[in-house]
Amino acid sequence: MTDINFKKIIRIGLIVYFAAIALFTVGTLSRLKDGSVFGLPKFLVYGAVVLVLTVCVLLYVLHLQKRLKSGKDAFGLRVLRTIHKYRFLIEQLVTRDFKIKYKRSVLGVFWSFLNPLLMMIVQYVVFSYLLNFRGTVEHYALYLLCGIVIWNGFNDCSTQSMRSIIGNAHLITKVYVPKYIYPVTKVLSASINVLLSMVPLLLVTVIYGLIATPKLYLSFAVLLLPLALLLLLVFCIGIGFILSSLMVFFHDIEFLWTVFSTIWMYATPIIYSLEMFESRAPWLITVMQFNPMYHYINFVRSIVLYRTAPTFLEMGITALISFGTFAVGLLIFKKCQDKFVLYL
Amino acid sequence: MNEERKLMISVQDVTMTFRREEDRSGSLKETVTKLLSRKLKFSTFTALHDVSFDVYNGDVLGIIGRNGAGKSTILKIISGIMKPTKGNIIRNGNIVPMLELGSGFDFDLSGRENIFLNGAILGYEKPYLFSKYEEIVDFSELRDFIDVPLRNYSSGMIMRLAFSIAAVVEPEILIVDEILAVGDENFQKKSRARMMELMGGGTTVLFVSHDMNQIREMCNRVIWLDGGTIRMQGETKEVCDAYRI
Repeated sequence: MTDINFKKIIRIGLIVYFAAIALFTVGTLSRLKDGSVFGLPKFLVYGAVVLVLTVCVLLYVLHLQKRLKSGKDAFGLRVLRTIHKYRFLIEQLVTRDFKIKYKRSVLGVFWSFLNPLLMMIVQYVVFSYLLNFRGTVEHYALYLLCGIVIWNGFNDCSTQSMRSIIGNAHLITKVYVPKYIYPVTKVLSASINVLLSMVPLLLVTVIYGLIATPKLYLSFAVLLLPLALLLLLVFCIGIGFILSSLMVFFHDIEFLWTVFSTIWMYATPIIYSLEMFESRAPWLITVMQFNPMYHYINFVRSIVLYRTAPTFLEMGITALISFGTFAVGLLIFKKCQDKFVLYL
Repeated sequence: MNEERKLMISVQDVTMTFRREEDRSGSLKETVTKLLSRKLKFSTFTALHDVSFDVYNGDVLGIIGRNGAGKSTILKIISGIMKPTKGNIIRNGNIVPMLELGSGFDFDLSGRENIFLNGAILGYEKPYLFSKYEEIVDFSELRDFIDVPLRNYSSGMIMRLAFSIAAVVEPEILIVDEILAVGDENFQKKSRARMMELMGGGTTVLFVSHDMNQIREMCNRVIWLDGGTIRMQGETKEVCDAYRI
């Protein structure tokens, strides 16, 4: 077994880190320009935070390097080694799921583009012409599309990963592989579709923006789209961990989840907007803060439709939801995973 | 016997207890109603009880015993699929289990894609699998069908492909649950020969079989499991002779 190429990993890792910082800075520029925190200009505080973060990252890299040289074990090294050892399997499982999905369809991968567009058209016709939602929301078609794309992505990831453990029962009972791989690969393969559906979203935004009055152009805030998707991915993996481990013990989860996700969908402002309830039910806005999907959809709408980065507080809340769910999921999965093989 | 041999596997006081609900419920409702009515009974079943043994480099260890003696359970625990209730396992070296062939096949993918998928599941690395690809295809004699989806294969062809993938392994520890001879007569001969070659090639092998002739032929040490405990362990001839009676 070849060991990890630590230098190469560090080099790529640092490049990705600095690229991410650069993208984030440009993306949030509109929020940094003016305003102050603790009496200091916002951009100064931001610069200091980035600096501290960078120092921490570099220190951790040095720490890992020292551990590697002395041959000692470290948590970071263990994680890297595991990923290195199983990356080929991860790659194979992700490509399998992706290939299987469209294997017998004529249009194949184009369905990833077509599906959100068709959904948008159907819902646009129903809700804007029949129910007249159009008047209350600006750029209603795009508003719908953002919601549909993100919600479908989440729904796809969660239902796919839910069956990941019981669906791979024949493997789990025969070969040892870290079981985390199964839900993670399911979410990854489903998220390729989410990534592909960004193409119609951005394409429609550009084309629609040119025809619509007032005109709508993409802004630099769109650079935050990878961050929004990454946070959604982390959230989905967390949910995947929870659902797939529950599924082993109670197959009812599958049916419960279909009902629950339908309720959740209608509880999320995808086809309607919160402004419609401002006068009738002002408490709804407070309650909505506890709906994770509201935050992700809002994030995307903000950068695509409203052409501005979400506030730092809003981004913080979204990140907290993502990593919180991930941590809870990981904990549940870790606790249950030794029992899986006895129940499959 | 060599004097200094590397310890490959050490099984230390392993006990495996399965907890079985009287009739295991698969649904939330059943469990909740049972919990409420206090009808949830557990009966325990001890599949292995304080089993300890060591396997050294180059050993071909046979495990014999009647059905339900715990043979498969100990293999599953050694390969890491199950965690023992009590006790420890120390493993030095990568383990390739040859438990059931073709577990990871996907019938919508072609033979070629399945070679890579199944190879990855068995723990091969990418460059290794690429270098062995031709050998696998040649061994399976399926070159004409390699781009056909697996659902169009005959069952014999599937087994041939599965065996060919498993047969290119160069593991440090090989776990074999019965010698696998698959396909038509010709291929059976070939696969049997390959198995013998693998097991005789100096790797450490754990071998479960009901065929005493194979055990006598292949193994240098034998463990006799009976009702979850080691009834006897030692030289092949001794244990096999005792098992007969």
